[in-house]
Amino acid sequence: MNETALKELLYKMADDQLIIGHRNSEWTGMGPLLEEDIAFSSMAQDKVGQSHALYQMLHSLGESEPDTVAFTRNAEQFHNCTLTELPNGEYDFSLIRHFLFDTAEAIRFELLTESSYAPLAQLAKKIQGEIRYHTMHANAWIKQLGSATEESVNRLQTSLEKALPYALGIFEPSPYEQELIAEGIFAGEEVLKEKWISRITEILSQTSLQLPDLSTLKPEFGGRTGQHTEHLQPLVEEMSEVFRIDPGAEW
Amino acid sequence: MESLDPRVNRLDLKGFQGNLTRKAPLDQFGTFEVFIQMKEGKPYQHEGIVHAPNEEMAFIFAKEQFSRRSTCSGLFVVETRNVFVTDFTEGEDTIYNYISDEFPKEGDKEEYEFFHLMKRGKQHQHVGSVEARTPQEALALAKPAFINEKPVFNAWVVKTSDILFTSEEDKHIWDTLPEKKFRDASDYKASDKIKAFKERNAG
Repeated sequence: MNETALKELLYKMADDQLIIGHRNSEWTGMGPLLEEDIAFSSMAQDKVGQSHALYQMLHSLGESEPDTVAFTRNAEQFHNCTLTELPNGEYDFSLIRHFLFDTAEAIRFELLTESSYAPLAQLAKKIQGEIRYHTMHANAWIKQLGSATEESVNRLQTSLEKALPYALGIFEPSPYEQELIAEGIFAGEEVLKEKWISRITEILSQTSLQLPDLSTLKPEFGGRTGQHTEHLQPLVEEMSEVFRIDPGAEW
Repeated sequence: MESLDPRVNRLDLKGFQGNLTRKAPLDQFGTFEVFIQMKEGKPYQHEGIVHAPNEEMAFIFAKEQFSRRSTCSGLFVVETRNVFVTDFTEGEDTIYNYISDEFPKEGDKEEYEFFHLMKRGKQHQHVGSVEARTPQEALALAKPAFINEKPVFNAWVVKTSDILFTSEEDKHIWDTLPEKKFRDASDYKASDKIKAFKERNAG
């Protein structure tokens, strides 16, 4: 098995889950209503838990301990797509990102249940339940607010247009696409993207929101190779603040 | 952003007016009752309430509100105003002593679910369902089976069609990663650590 290709895939997935999990957790205590605050925070915690499982897998392949990997790297060593690191903004943006990202995440893990790398296929099966709720939550909100009032539709539409180029960055091709596909580790970003487009189109068509012609948009690539927006480094610093005070502390 | 602190907002008050205006309703959603089944085969029991704009969102909220830590195999929600409740009894007195055998006999039969409170301070548990024309009739029909049993202190009746159940395929949302101790405060053994820290510093 091509371990370099596998690790590249695992790193970008783990970093996606960690960074989106941390970002979403910034809503804790500030959600639009108590029930949503709890639901969104709980999902954020799921995502951090999923990143931990992936870092653990990398550790078993010879990489450092999960905490070391999560808390001691700088922004340019992260492989998350830039969509996950953008500031929360208002709730409409967070919901749109949640919808766009989680739909892709769900399909990625669905495809990975068939992975030739058994531990990854196993993990993908295990977390399908969690992710099913995450997309159920996202779809319910988008369907509600996407056809509610003029303000809610306008806000979501604006956020959708802002987020889409970054969302296309999720599918930035890996240098190892061919190897991953050939070895049956992963079906590849192009397959994922096509499925993602049809699924978001299906949900959005049930709302008053308009999906722009995606072929006219320039995807925001770079995240997968460590070229991030200015928003990631402050996030990483805040996330690792406590760890860095005493890296040897037992939790 | 404008401050949400009333002490700050009141600084802008300019004079007072004597004319009357309508009392504004609270800016919040209605409530939905949430019932949880911890394990396949166990009865559903009432877990609490969520605020939500409709039953679909109530379900979404209820799932994380009431089943994010414990095991769960099913959940259902019903709008609070669709739950019909009796008075409370106490001691050895069952509420069925007060359920009339007389009930109006108009309308079509529909299915109703009924719930019992067997211990004050505990949750209502789902007991069964019965075909009836009204909630009152549903309880009257249940009465013969329960009047001479352990006292029921309070009963709830809900029309089955008013309930949003979990679909079979959605039951997967409770298949989650088992390694989730990080969700429980107890796993961090904070008090042990604080105690050890204090002892170290005292010594």
